[in-house]
Amino acid sequence: MPATTGDEIDLDVVRAMLAHIQPGDHQEAQELILAALQEVNEHFGYVSLAAAEVVAEHLGTTASRVYGLLTFYADFRTRPRGKHFMLLCHGMSCYALGSQRLVQELKDTWGVADGETTADGELTVQVVNGCLGVCDRAPFVKLDADYHGDLTTESFNEVLRRTIEAGGSWKDADHGH
Amino acid sequence: MATEMEAALPRLTGREDFKSFRAGAEERWQGMWDGTRTVVSVGLDSSSIPKGADRVLAACRAALSSSDAIVREVSGNGALWMEPWVEMMRPGEPPVVYANITPEEVPVLLAGGLRERAVGVRAESAFGGIPPLSAHPFFRHQQRIVLQNMGIIDPWSVEDAVARGAYSAYLKVLFDLSQEETIAEVAAANVRGRGGAGFPAGIKWESGRKARVLPKFVVCNSHEGEPNVYKDRKIHESDPHRILEGILIACIAVGAERGYNYIGGEYPLAIKRFRKAVADAERLGLIGRNVLGSGKDVFFRVRTGGGAYICGEGSAMMYSIMGVRGQPRTKPPRSVEEGIWKRPTVANNTETLANIPDIITKGGAWYASIGTEKSKGTKLMTVQGPMATTGLVEVPMGITLGTLINECWGGMRPGHTFKGIQTGGVSAGPLKEEHFDLPVDFDSLTDVGGMLGSGGFAVFDTDVCAVDFARYLTAFNRYESCSKCVPCRLGNPALVEILDRIRLGRGSLADLALMERTSKHIIDLSLCGLGQVAPMPLLGMMQMYPEEFRAHIVDGVCPAGSCPIGVPQTVAAAAD
Repeated sequence: MPATTGDEIDLDVVRAMLAHIQPGDHQEAQELILAALQEVNEHFGYVSLAAAEVVAEHLGTTASRVYGLLTFYADFRTRPRGKHFMLLCHGMSCYALGSQRLVQELKDTWGVADGETTADGELTVQVVNGCLGVCDRAPFVKLDADYHGDLTTESFNEVLRRTIEAGGSWKDADHGH
Repeated sequence: MATEMEAALPRLTGREDFKSFRAGAEERWQGMWDGTRTVVSVGLDSSSIPKGADRVLAACRAALSSSDAIVREVSGNGALWMEPWVEMMRPGEPPVVYANITPEEVPVLLAGGLRERAVGVRAESAFGGIPPLSAHPFFRHQQRIVLQNMGIIDPWSVEDAVARGAYSAYLKVLFDLSQEETIAEVAAANVRGRGGAGFPAGIKWESGRKARVLPKFVVCNSHEGEPNVYKDRKIHESDPHRILEGILIACIAVGAERGYNYIGGEYPLAIKRFRKAVADAERLGLIGRNVLGSGKDVFFRVRTGGGAYICGEGSAMMYSIMGVRGQPRTKPPRSVEEGIWKRPTVANNTETLANIPDIITKGGAWYASIGTEKSKGTKLMTVQGPMATTGLVEVPMGITLGTLINECWGGMRPGHTFKGIQTGGVSAGPLKEEHFDLPVDFDSLTDVGGMLGSGGFAVFDTDVCAVDFARYLTAFNRYESCSKCVPCRLGNPALVEILDRIRLGRGSLADLALMERTSKHIIDLSLCGLGQVAPMPLLGMMQMYPEEFRAHIVDGVCPAGSCPIGVPQTVAAAAD
């Protein structure tokens, strides 16, 4: 599978992140598994098997239960993100105004499909099978911390080129658009 | 500014306590608008921040830091097309809304320039040649109940919400009405479920009240995962206390000890604003033991989803809350008998619950006077596609499709020609210009193959191919199938495969019958609501644009010019 930026998840950081999650009983503990995973996923960009085990241990459940959730819910990744991270909106506004062409362009020019990372580890793409809600500027993407709308194939490629040339990474983004 | 107030929030222990808190909030609110100081409000939400509204707000703050002007963050107002917008009230003048302001333009605007950018006055009458905002076609047909505070209050501020009436209905339900009387108002309003199914909330609440197993729960379903709906997200971002109040009222009415709100994880700002609202309500003592000395206990939990459309289905949502995969189960038992942790659970859509406070305050009969015979009240509707004034509107049930498209949403943008409008999200078919006279309510669109659903519409132009669009819609359902039952898990990929064959110019006329037969199997045999409607968009497209399907198959051409007919299959593999 695609190259990664090679960062490993520091499990002590995960334990520290989970410290504030203190369920009152076993039912509440189960209700908090998804929330715990969301925090880890947001911070590291993915949840490794080892991190999933830490979550399982903290909330008194099994790693297989936790991993079953990671692979069911689309927001989670189980492999590291590349240096840059793109959310490509594929809502109906974006579709009607050409997001399909951008997905195709990613395949043809950048060699990357939904959920994948480019071979050089520069870019990970996640196609949003819902809606980012900026429908008047379709087609629309969020790339690291920045938003780009009214995209044509040309301006899309240009934005990607500029972002990669400028360095930086998705980690510079504010968490939560 | 929200942080300053947190420390100051008092703990209210009785009804009189709340009344004096409200009096203080009202005084502060009226003082702000008394016309002695400049008040600048900037609408910040998930659609305006990407366009730079946060930088516009920062520019306003910087420019006015040494003056006595009030600079406020509010939410967007639903009019995506005018974002980022700034509302400015100068001393002695009404508030005027200016559209599409960049951070660089802020100094000019504050100095009195950019008059041509004024869209309207937020007041009854015109001012200085600028018409009232309510006269703009986007707003003219709207009647805002759920959205009455949208773009007006600071969504982080419980004082703003209370000054505008929040929790008055909750107090009435806590102290003045019995459970039966509360439910009677909801039943009289005949408010039907806004998530798409249209089931009367009053009946659901009554079943919940009668359930004998304890504890009971209430869940607000805020997981709109459809690719064309953003209404519930906007309610959270603009007026979170309205939703919370609706849930708390439901808890009291059915005797539930705990309320939940399940919000889609892809809505970080909605989650943040709603969590702040819950925290403030807890601080004030509106949630917890012996609320305001009423003797009633209500607790609250916020839960967030992980990006699975299926979790909008009631039983799947409850499994997701319980920390397992969101896969629907067979019914009965209905969730009102066995829901979260096998306890009676009343589940309502966000918009339904956000209607409750006004129904309690103004009465069910008032609410039932709005709308049509079988669809009462207003409905939030969103549009996508190349429209001139894209956005979220709240209109009375029964407005015609044509009014929505041509007036509220301003018709097509220049350079685009109307072809059709996809209705009911991914659960129904498209409608055409010949349907523009139809009233939009729960029942009228269904007769012609459309659906109101949760109020999400997508207009598409002549550049969009019906076959390709059908593939997009079917592929969405294929991706979102939870894989629990076979007809949906295997049927939808089969439909996509056949559609790809047609898109590549390799289809046959027999494929049309094959798709209809496969669709019938999926509809008849799937376990849940997602599977049972998954083929509806495809069938709708086939019914509305049969000539296009035939053109691909018989003539080997794609009339819209978007399908990869004749392109080698390896290159043309469709984007998933």
